[in-house]
Amino acid sequence: MIDRWIWRLLPWVPAAIALLAWWAWFAIEQPPASVMPSAFAVIATMADLAFGGRLPGDILASMARLLGGSALGIVTGMAAGFVAGLNRPIADFMNPLVVFFNAISGIVWLPLVIGWLGIGSPLAIFLIWNTVFFIIFQNTVLGVQLVPEVLELGVQSLGGSRWETIRSVTLPGALPYILSGIRSGLGFGWRALIAAELVGATTGLGQLIFSGAEYHRADIIVGGCLLIGAIAMAMDRWLLLPIEKRTVIRWGLVATGQGR
Amino acid sequence: MADKIEVSGFRHYFRTETGSVQATGTIDLSIKAGEFVTLVGPSGCGKTTLLKAIAGFLTPSEGSIVCDGKQVRGPGRERGVVFQELAILPWRTVRRNIAHGLEIARVPKAEREATVARLISLMGLGGFEDRYPHELSGGMRQRVAVARTWAADPEVILMDEPFAAVDAMTRLTLQEELGRLCAATRKTVFFITHSVEEAVFLADRVLVMTKRPGTVKAELKVPRSAAGGRDWDSFTSDPLMQKIAGDVMHLVHAERV
Amino acid sequence: MKPLKTLIPFAVLVAVWWGIKAGADVPDKLLVAPLAVWASFTGLVSHGILAEYASASLRLIGTAAIISFVIGVPLGFAVGTNRYAARALEGTLRFLQGISGIAWLPLAILWFGFSQTTTLTIVIYTLIVPIIFNTMTGVRAIPDNYALALQSLGAGRLRIVRDVYLPGALPSIIVGMRLGMGYGWRALIASEMLVRQGGLGDLIFGARTFGQIDRIMVGMVVIGTLYIVVDRLLVQPVETLTVARWGVLRR
Repeated sequence: MIDRWIWRLLPWVPAAIALLAWWAWFAIEQPPASVMPSAFAVIATMADLAFGGRLPGDILASMARLLGGSALGIVTGMAAGFVAGLNRPIADFMNPLVVFFNAISGIVWLPLVIGWLGIGSPLAIFLIWNTVFFIIFQNTVLGVQLVPEVLELGVQSLGGSRWETIRSVTLPGALPYILSGIRSGLGFGWRALIAAELVGATTGLGQLIFSGAEYHRADIIVGGCLLIGAIAMAMDRWLLLPIEKRTVIRWGLVATGQGR
Repeated sequence: MADKIEVSGFRHYFRTETGSVQATGTIDLSIKAGEFVTLVGPSGCGKTTLLKAIAGFLTPSEGSIVCDGKQVRGPGRERGVVFQELAILPWRTVRRNIAHGLEIARVPKAEREATVARLISLMGLGGFEDRYPHELSGGMRQRVAVARTWAADPEVILMDEPFAAVDAMTRLTLQEELGRLCAATRKTVFFITHSVEEAVFLADRVLVMTKRPGTVKAELKVPRSAAGGRDWDSFTSDPLMQKIAGDVMHLVHAERV
Repeated sequence: MKPLKTLIPFAVLVAVWWGIKAGADVPDKLLVAPLAVWASFTGLVSHGILAEYASASLRLIGTAAIISFVIGVPLGFAVGTNRYAARALEGTLRFLQGISGIAWLPLAILWFGFSQTTTLTIVIYTLIVPIIFNTMTGVRAIPDNYALALQSLGAGRLRIVRDVYLPGALPSIIVGMRLGMGYGWRALIASEMLVRQGGLGDLIFGARTFGQIDRIMVGMVVIGTLYIVVDRLLVQPVETLTVARWGVLRR
């Protein structure tokens, strides 16, 4: 019985230890607020920012950019991926280009694009789209190419047209890899978002953290980081996992993809 | 009775990096409507290549294949195929897989559901209608594959060693079920296999192929028994059946490498 | 033959680029012609500037990689072989992986100032989390039977680690390294952009201040090429060698 409880509580142990250590260090060392805030200070500050402060606006701005850029990246990546996946010559032609542009995706474009789009949301959305597109594209191509040919032949022998084959075989068949790509893509997209907001934005969680650095407010920085982690986990758990459950997990197909 | 399928002068090569590989020798055969013809031969003799050509999945290097008086130019619903590997869609339930051919043919919903229900009971899939393929055993999956093809109601059915990956016990059951199904639904069936026993058990006519590059070297007729398909008990105790099986075995063994 | 096939798409791209610049009237502050970029590249190379910035970045990621590997792998092993430790740390590692290294940059700047130490810390953090995580999962994926079999052959603990756990987890570790390098390289560039203490990120961000689009583009191409070279010529062969020879644990 005790064993079961231990098992259930274990995942929280590191957080508990960290919290204890943090509190202990703070009590003993009494570092200035600019180096390390107390846990209470962080909570207080975050609550302050949340209710009546800039936090809701920042979260909204960041999420809007992330979801906007990602949605764009997913749609364009899937479309291009299907075209390339179904068409070997196109895929062979695009592959070196995609590998190269994937290597410079995201933040590397910032100095160039900031001249085209200025700072703010368009910049962030471009960088996120850029990051997500290449990952989704590669995974979609892989997924399409890996659909077992026998499944397509089966549908053709039932009289299915090319369109029917794409709709009922290729699309669901490529889904495991596409979802894996979306998962990776969102992860990289988050990073691109934060980096973009650190340098080129006036609102958003990344900018919040950066302002914390400018004003020597370590409490804002720590609080912001923890919030980012929490949102990332929430997205994975409440957004991606349900989709995976209803599709690839239910069908008994799980895959590992590229771009990670 | 007119020939349902006519294969004339069929020969096929595959192009590889090192030149062309001959997949089959020259083959001529014909299948009449309503016949169950099995083709048995050693590995690599080209039986699957021949089946794929009849199905329309590849274009013959030489020769022609005619089905119902028309040249075969590609796959089509008049020639259903049951594959050896899993070809039913993993993301559709049993029910929806069986219905797929009917969906494609735009059969109205009520009729579709009736046909699917009929096949589910015929193939013994009751209780599994809403399961996904990965939840089923190999034998059940092949039952679904057969049901799917039968539901689409093609006149010709091509089967590529459909029971090869199924365990021995289930295989015997499936063979009997297939026999019953064919007795009930007058189809023209072309069935290729490794197993001599299976070939003779199921067939009206057995064709034996040589080793690579294969040609048809012999043909044995198997008299139809009582209506309702054969069963293994009477098959193994019937001297005529055993003799035919023995003859076929002899012919196949002569092709051993 | 194969290298040619790889180069043709780029040739087409450069041709299109040249066409756009020459045809449409695109101002220099938006897009620069291929030839100008080439001239900038040769200039930077001949003055040794490119070598200086590039080697700073490479040195940093190399150092971070070694440190992360040396600390992360044993840590991952320790955690992976102990069920309770794994259960305790798994969620936390996932959480930390969600907070990208870059998010900690402002804090690092507060502690270490605008220095290479800051960048190094961030990159190590970014690299080490996937390495620990993947080492852990790699070790846990090894069937118990392997170790048991060796025990009944009389092997001691160290031998089992050497003959079972190390090779067994290696493919997963390599994958973790590749993953980490991907994150790490990007974190490196981003950090260099903010900290401005050398490295390719500094180069391209600094060029922005002076409107030197040609320099920016040279930097971008170098960044991409270096990443591909490091990944394809260094990390991937190791992955192929281990995963391909030993088959398995993934895909």
